[in-house]
Amino acid sequence: MSWFYLIIAGIFEMLGVGSISQFNQKKNFSSLIWLISVFSGSFIFLYFAMRVLPMGISYAIWTGIGAAGGAILGMIFYGESKDWRRIACIAIILGSVIGLKLIG
Amino acid sequence: MSKDWLNVFIGAFFEILWVIGMKHSQNWLELLLTAVAIVLSFYFLIKAGESIPVGTSYAVFVGLGTAGTVFTGILLFGEPFKVTKILLVFILLAGVMGLKMVTREKGASEK
Repeated sequence: MSWFYLIIAGIFEMLGVGSISQFNQKKNFSSLIWLISVFSGSFIFLYFAMRVLPMGISYAIWTGIGAAGGAILGMIFYGESKDWRRIACIAIILGSVIGLKLIG
Repeated sequence: MSKDWLNVFIGAFFEILWVIGMKHSQNWLELLLTAVAIVLSFYFLIKAGESIPVGTSYAVFVGLGTAGTVFTGILLFGEPFKVTKILLVFILLAGVMGLKMVTREKGASEK
């Protein structure tokens, strides 16, 4: 069950990244509520996952889904650059973050 | 350095503070400061997202937050020093610099 929570947390984090673009496009109350809701969901599910799973692994998977998924959402829905160098740099950063959390 | 990137860096700085705060807070005041740091880190991340693609700024934000947490962990909180950690931090920083260069080129040519 905690793995399920962790994946849900990652998906919320991914939606959170998208919600920042959404908020910056339309600065209204409902965008703000959506932003706060998805990030809260992300933290709550991460907390439940971390009560059982090791912190390093949980964080690595959570950020992995959040940042990679967020970047993909951005490219599909918010017209962000699909330059391969950009994608490569994001992958390098994410790979290092995941590595650091796993050995940490 | 442009103001947008400065926002990402300030956001990451507050992220390092709240990660430390979550781990080491011992009283209500420190917990409150941790909460303030969370709000500020998000504020600057959102602010940066006004002009930098969020996929980019979020990756840098998480990357610098992690690098900073590793460094402060080793320097201030006596966590074990490992060569692999330092190596990964350098690869990570290279990724951040690369991303910054690629983004500026794009921003200049597309706007």
